[in-house]
Amino acid sequence: MNSNTNYLRFSLFHRFCHFLVIISFFGLVLTGIPLAFRGYGWARWLYELFGGYPTAGYLHRICAIITFFSAFVHFINLFYNVSVRKKKGYFWGSNSLLIQPRDIFDIIADIKWFMGIGKKPDYDRWIYWEKFEYLSLMWGTLVMAVTGLILWFPVQFTKIIPVSVATIIDLPSIALIVHRYEAILAAGFIFTIHFFHTHLLPEKMPVDEVIFTGRITEEEMKHERLVQYKRLVKEGQLDSFRVAPPSLFVRFLTRLFAVPILITGLIVVGLMFSALLVWAI
Amino acid sequence: MVHKTKSNVKKLRKLSVFAFFVISSVTLALSPAIIMAGDNGPCIECHTKPEKLKVSEKAKIDAVTGEIKVSSMVIDEAIFKASAHGGDDFFCTDCHQDLDGKDLTDGHKPNLKPVDCITFCHDDPAEEYLQSTHVKLMRENGKDVPTCKDCHYGLSFHYAPSGEKSPRDVPRGVDPVHRDLTIATCGSCHQDYLSSYRNNAHGQVASLGHTTIDVPVCFDCHGKHTILKSSDPESKVGKERIVETCGKCHANANASFVKHIEHPQIKNIAYYKAIISAVKNARSDPENLKKVLKNPQTILCVVFVMYIGILAFTFSAFGMHSLLSWAAIVRDEYKKRRGHSDEQQH
Repeated sequence: MNSNTNYLRFSLFHRFCHFLVIISFFGLVLTGIPLAFRGYGWARWLYELFGGYPTAGYLHRICAIITFFSAFVHFINLFYNVSVRKKKGYFWGSNSLLIQPRDIFDIIADIKWFMGIGKKPDYDRWIYWEKFEYLSLMWGTLVMAVTGLILWFPVQFTKIIPVSVATIIDLPSIALIVHRYEAILAAGFIFTIHFFHTHLLPEKMPVDEVIFTGRITEEEMKHERLVQYKRLVKEGQLDSFRVAPPSLFVRFLTRLFAVPILITGLIVVGLMFSALLVWAI
Repeated sequence: MVHKTKSNVKKLRKLSVFAFFVISSVTLALSPAIIMAGDNGPCIECHTKPEKLKVSEKAKIDAVTGEIKVSSMVIDEAIFKASAHGGDDFFCTDCHQDLDGKDLTDGHKPNLKPVDCITFCHDDPAEEYLQSTHVKLMRENGKDVPTCKDCHYGLSFHYAPSGEKSPRDVPRGVDPVHRDLTIATCGSCHQDYLSSYRNNAHGQVASLGHTTIDVPVCFDCHGKHTILKSSDPESKVGKERIVETCGKCHANANASFVKHIEHPQIKNIAYYKAIISAVKNARSDPENLKKVLKNPQTILCVVFVMYIGILAFTFSAFGMHSLLSWAAIVRDEYKKRRGHSDEQQH
């Protein structure tokens, strides 16, 4: 793990975006999820912790603006790289975050591995579930932003709908239901699937530092992303990614920041799950 | 001699007049004796201090229910001042009229007349209430009409932190606790509406315990005593007044905005049954199906069911993926270790 050979996996911009998403996502979940679980004592406590009504609502909107900002800079960066710097490979190929034919084969190979009739497959730069997470973040942000804005400005949004349509399609009510259950989906997904697939893996526990330091060791890269490693060696590009290992201070800061955040997320998802149990029993 | 006596009598008279003035002014100054309308001072003087009262608690029998209640004679001044009756232009004798102008040197008589809340003050709501659809419908259906006390049942409405519940300390209409209690009161009969309200944007905030005047409770939209059917032109939620009602909070509320559903049926099984039966009887009764499909509730139900499906699918699929990959990692590790130990043995 403490190898001296490190490669850059995430640029400073990517790390900054991930940081913004963490801050805004946790702010949104902590101030918003009490409303979805309004019948439980912990929800009341959590809501009061963030100032109750209307303070929690204001904090929620501030975090929403941070989310809009992170989505905005993400797409500005994408646009700049694709159309100004004419970089290739964003929409097709091994560096693309969009679904590729290779992902289908990876899924099949994974299922074989799960059933014990195949070896663990080697992955390229992005594994299919990472792509799924990225794409669902994009889709989820869009859904939450649109429905959230409708709930924020219900009068203005309904103004553009004719009355005859509004009698059948009640936009604010639909927005509320979508916003509430998409939120439960997003919070539940991030705090379980994302955490357990990236940070809380047996070999990463408690946190995968690569998204914070941006650096991946040669061993990790060979273990997790052998296809990418081999491809870069073959293309002779590997050395261009080589960077100094992260300083101890940066690794300390990473843990200081990430571990409490991880625990908070696990507590929230635990409370959500307990609510499901109470409801089911 | 005679002259002398005369002058003595004169002196005595002068003295007695003087003494009368002194004694009466001292008495007046020392005792709170007489209650005057327009001053709560003498009442508050004793009724905030248990040690000054002959009786600080009294048992009362409710004339209607026969219930025995112990009520305290002590007034918590802060709570009283904050209550609906605590305004500056409101006096004890307005309600306890038999005390008006009474001499209190030895305290007042132990049992006052029961306070008549209705005749002089609260007569308007009763009339309004009796003309409301709320009452008319119940009468038509031969149901017992709720009386004032069914909603204003002292024990929960006339609350006070000291434990005593008195109509005197009834909180103002803007009091958040009072507003919160009204939701429960309406909901004790209208359970379906209460649970659908809790699913709405307004009700979810109220459910978390926030019922200040910017979070609407039942009566903010439906009215208090004059609750009318939505088809009535006078109704606050009817066609003609709904824009005005919503507009109280949502400035520039428009005709499309007020089509909003306050009571979504997404968790009402009866509504799903109605949709299914309408679909089943599509051939024999196409009009009904049309009506159901045009009901905005139907879309909400479809969206809700869709999301429950998405949630169930996502978490079962990815949960299984996580578990399987964890199991596979552990299995590989186990095989590797066994492989190592086999090599060591050879």
